[in-house]
Amino acid sequence: MEQSAKIANRNSIIFALIYGATYIPAVWLLKHHIFGQHVSIIVAIVPVITFSVFIVKLIKAYAVMDEVKQRVQFEAVVIGFALTALLLMVLFLLSLCGISKPGWFGYAELGGYCWVFYYVGWFISIKKYGI
Amino acid sequence: MKNTIKVERAKKNWTQADLAKHIGMSRQGLNSIETGKFIPSTVLALRMAKAFNTTVEVLFQLDDREG
Repeated sequence: MEQSAKIANRNSIIFALIYGATYIPAVWLLKHHIFGQHVSIIVAIVPVITFSVFIVKLIKAYAVMDEVKQRVQFEAVVIGFALTALLLMVLFLLSLCGISKPGWFGYAELGGYCWVFYYVGWFISIKKYGI
Repeated sequence: MKNTIKVERAKKNWTQADLAKHIGMSRQGLNSIETGKFIPSTVLALRMAKAFNTTVEVLFQLDDREG
């Protein structure tokens, strides 16, 4: 079981790296408008596919974790989700007041904050369970 | 919840890594259970009791304040 957990964990890391390797060039290509709209859509789909595969691998890795590690991941996701929801609510309310900073809180930045909040939750949880 | 995992391990002269391997979990996870930071599921508690040839009641006891 420990061995299969290690393999599943390694697979999720490999696919995270593959996703990163497709996302960054795709963003660069799309920002610089190198291709026409049709090719750009295909370029945009590539990181979506690699991210989907990464998520599947991540879920498989979660399934073979021992119950302590599963609890850590669960609490990390709960904290990450709650903080992301809180940020979205604050941004929505501020936008109603006419205050918005799209440069800091665009779609790409919000995705980044989501991962930051997940790691905040993960850090809190590993401290709590001492692993 | 208190436990006697450390005592039972000592009787068998097992390290945390040895016991973790027997019950199919990570050493860090086992450490979390042994130090009382995480309460294991019934299945894992039974698996642990089986590895030590004892009962769950010997391994895990409620604190006085828990009833």
